[in-house]
Amino acid sequence: MKFFKVASAIALACSSSALMAQTIDIQITNLTHAQHFTPRLVIAHDNSVDAFEPGVEATSALAWLAEAGVIDDAQNAASAGQNFEALLGPTDTDNTTNTWHRFGGLVAPSTSLSYAFDTMDKPYLSILSMLIPTNDAFVGLDSIKIPTTPGTYTYMLHAYDAGTELNDELNSMRTDIVEQGGAALGGYGVPGVAGAGASPVPLGVGGTGVAVKVGFAEDGSAIGANEVVDGTDGPVHIHRNILGDTSLTDGASDLQSTEHRWLNPVARVTITIPSS
Amino acid sequence: MNINKISLVLLPLIAVLATGCGGDDGSNGTAGQAGTAGVDGANGADGTNGTNGTNGTNGNLAVFTVQLTNLTYSQPFSPAAIILHEPGYHAFIDGEAASLGLEQLAEGGDPTELLAEALAATQYLDATATDGATGPRSIGTMSTLLVPLLDVDDLRLSFTTMLVDTNDAFTGLNAADISNMTVGQSMSFMAPTWDSGTEANTETASTIPGPAAGAAGGGGASAGFDAARDDLFDLVHFHRGVVTNANANDESKEGLSTSVLTEADRWDNPTARIIVTRTR
Repeated sequence: MKFFKVASAIALACSSSALMAQTIDIQITNLTHAQHFTPRLVIAHDNSVDAFEPGVEATSALAWLAEAGVIDDAQNAASAGQNFEALLGPTDTDNTTNTWHRFGGLVAPSTSLSYAFDTMDKPYLSILSMLIPTNDAFVGLDSIKIPTTPGTYTYMLHAYDAGTELNDELNSMRTDIVEQGGAALGGYGVPGVAGAGASPVPLGVGGTGVAVKVGFAEDGSAIGANEVVDGTDGPVHIHRNILGDTSLTDGASDLQSTEHRWLNPVARVTITIPSS
Repeated sequence: MNINKISLVLLPLIAVLATGCGGDDGSNGTAGQAGTAGVDGANGADGTNGTNGTNGTNGNLAVFTVQLTNLTYSQPFSPAAIILHEPGYHAFIDGEAASLGLEQLAEGGDPTELLAEALAATQYLDATATDGATGPRSIGTMSTLLVPLLDVDDLRLSFTTMLVDTNDAFTGLNAADISNMTVGQSMSFMAPTWDSGTEANTETASTIPGPAAGAAGGGGASAGFDAARDDLFDLVHFHRGVVTNANANDESKEGLSTSVLTEADRWDNPTARIIVTRTR
């Protein structure tokens, strides 16, 4: 039995590469005005893997990606056991249900990057990346069937809200406000927009908060005057966009309404299936 | 084999003959115990099947399930009108005036008249209203529709539902092509948002039927459908989004201070996802 399997595999290798592991070309273009894309999580998978689903609560792995841009332990050791690496298995490995890779660096607004990616013959493809500076926005390609006919295929991607953090739109580089209890603003599990430093336009300070106000709990009751609560607004849904305002020193938001907003689609993905 | 059988048959006879040779019989003994009941006989053979019935007119139906996901942060969807039809019917057309049915759905969230209009169309195959509203950020109930098998090769899906915290916004599908779906196949569509063009977007408590207006002392049926058409143009068009009262009082003055909507009531497209599955 084993002998016959080996023999047929050799026969296949000699006759055609159609069923062998396939490397495809993936190009992603950032269509926004002033939002960077964090490192991209690219997953080829079967139908048992669902990185995100509108109307369904986010996993902790999705929360790490959407709030902090973190995919694996190498990026942030504190995410170990909770991130996509924990959910999917080792990178660049055939994990039976999936294979995945983190393509590092940022994709700046109005720029494109291309990658070669070995799908290891998994039938579906998903891509996720956080939009910064936001609280928990991410761009998502949602389990598309990988084409089998050689050619070039284009997909327009939407910005989703992971629903794991209220969209306070507060600059995480501020030190005059803290999470309720005293933690600094910033990434996973704490209020404030992540990646404020990467923005091509300066963020403001002094905002009083959009979806939740500085100094008040979600129900409107007073808390510490410099404190921000960490609430959730799930399940996963289409992001309603940045609100922003036009003040760099006060107003509700530390983001700029004239710069940081977007409208869907926020990304274009072009997949090239090579002729074998 | 045969020899054994014969000897077994002969044995009782020999016994009888033997007892017949004895002297006086003694008095009869008591009756023996009753024997145990015999085992049940084997079942008879099955009867033959009856002849097949003849097919009725259009008796073979394809079955489709349709499920809506509300992708917005805080806009509830009214009960949705879901229609399967042949090419040629349109619940709405961009750049043309809305039907009365669409106006009632887009202003008041009531799909009844729109479904009646669909039923009257020659291209109508089946339609239903979803079971109640679909809340924000949630997956709705599943609806089931039936169409004759003959129509599967050229089939269209339309749906419309109101974003109820607006004056007259709706999302939907306009005659999406779902021809030749195989049993078990699913198709997914993302839907943008239109303005029915039948009501000015004042965003006030007295013109919006949904809970955002209700919280401001308005809302409900009286704030829904109004026969007057007072938008800039009485034409269906892409919705430009709600202004809301956010940033109305800061220095940007970007917001609409008379709006009962907040920044939470905003959305970006797509606002709905619809998944249709052929199950038979």
